[in-house]
Amino acid sequence: MSFRLNALLRSPWLFHLSTGSCNNCDIEVLDCLTPRFDVERFGMVLTGSIKHADVLLVTGSCNRQSAERLRRLYEQAPKPCVVVAIGECSLSRGMFVESYNCPVPIDHVVPVDVYIPGCPPKPEAVIAGVVKLMAKVREATKKGRGKAPEEVATA
Amino acid sequence: MTRDQVLQELTGRFSEAILALWDVSPKRVYVDIDPAALVGVSTLLFRELGARFCTASGVDTRSAVEILYHYILEPINLMVSVRVSLDRKAPLVDSLTGLFAAADFIEREIHELLGVNFRGHETPRRLLLPEQWPDDVQPLRRDYAEWDPNAVRDRGVR
Repeated sequence: MSFRLNALLRSPWLFHLSTGSCNNCDIEVLDCLTPRFDVERFGMVLTGSIKHADVLLVTGSCNRQSAERLRRLYEQAPKPCVVVAIGECSLSRGMFVESYNCPVPIDHVVPVDVYIPGCPPKPEAVIAGVVKLMAKVREATKKGRGKAPEEVATA
Repeated sequence: MTRDQVLQELTGRFSEAILALWDVSPKRVYVDIDPAALVGVSTLLFRELGARFCTASGVDTRSAVEILYHYILEPINLMVSVRVSLDRKAPLVDSLTGLFAAADFIEREIHELLGVNFRGHETPRRLLLPEQWPDDVQPLRRDYAEWDPNAVRDRGVR
């Protein structure tokens, strides 16, 4: 594992995007970040700009307006960037699957690395998802020695 | 002004325009009117009786497109819902923006979601739907069909 990737995995910085959710998933994400569940002990910090982030947390069912914003944000993110879809809406649009304003799930807009189901997912589930993501990146790095970080992160 | 006086005023002034009146509860009255009399009834309620315009709601009932204008008379706690039924093929009704500015946004919303045209609306621009939405598709109509060839309507599992 490269020095840089090792360092990134020890402090993945997060950027949180709500693509039109009911805010319940967002509240659970905040629960994770604040002292009760405290993922900051793993070095995870919420950043104010996608340009500082390694992880893009997406909640919500992604309507026609926010799909374009999500795509632009992913393009601006420094790579490797991993995308975490949180909650049933961002996985499969939940009850909004037939909604006229939600044409595609978010994994048709950007590549998603981890899906965390639940409505909303408990903070424990969010933490478990992020731990699995880190394990996945570590595993992919072992296999993909010599590959570019972009290929590894989405492997 | 009491509740009875309000109803008398309404039925007396617009006896031929009122198609039906449902006095459903002490707090709620529904009035079905001829769309041609909408501005007159609204002027009476808003200007003369001092009612507050809460909002309007639209619904497609398969036989007609209905708009309900909800007015509340706060001193006597009476909600008057004025209902107009419009032809589904070409729904057209007078705009109330000349009477109160609050009708502006809700009429624009009803225009794009249900396809009702408001005669005399000054700025019938798009309000809620995204730019790429086609002009002739109204999402809250009963006969709405998927228009977007790129839309995916499954959950990714078979």
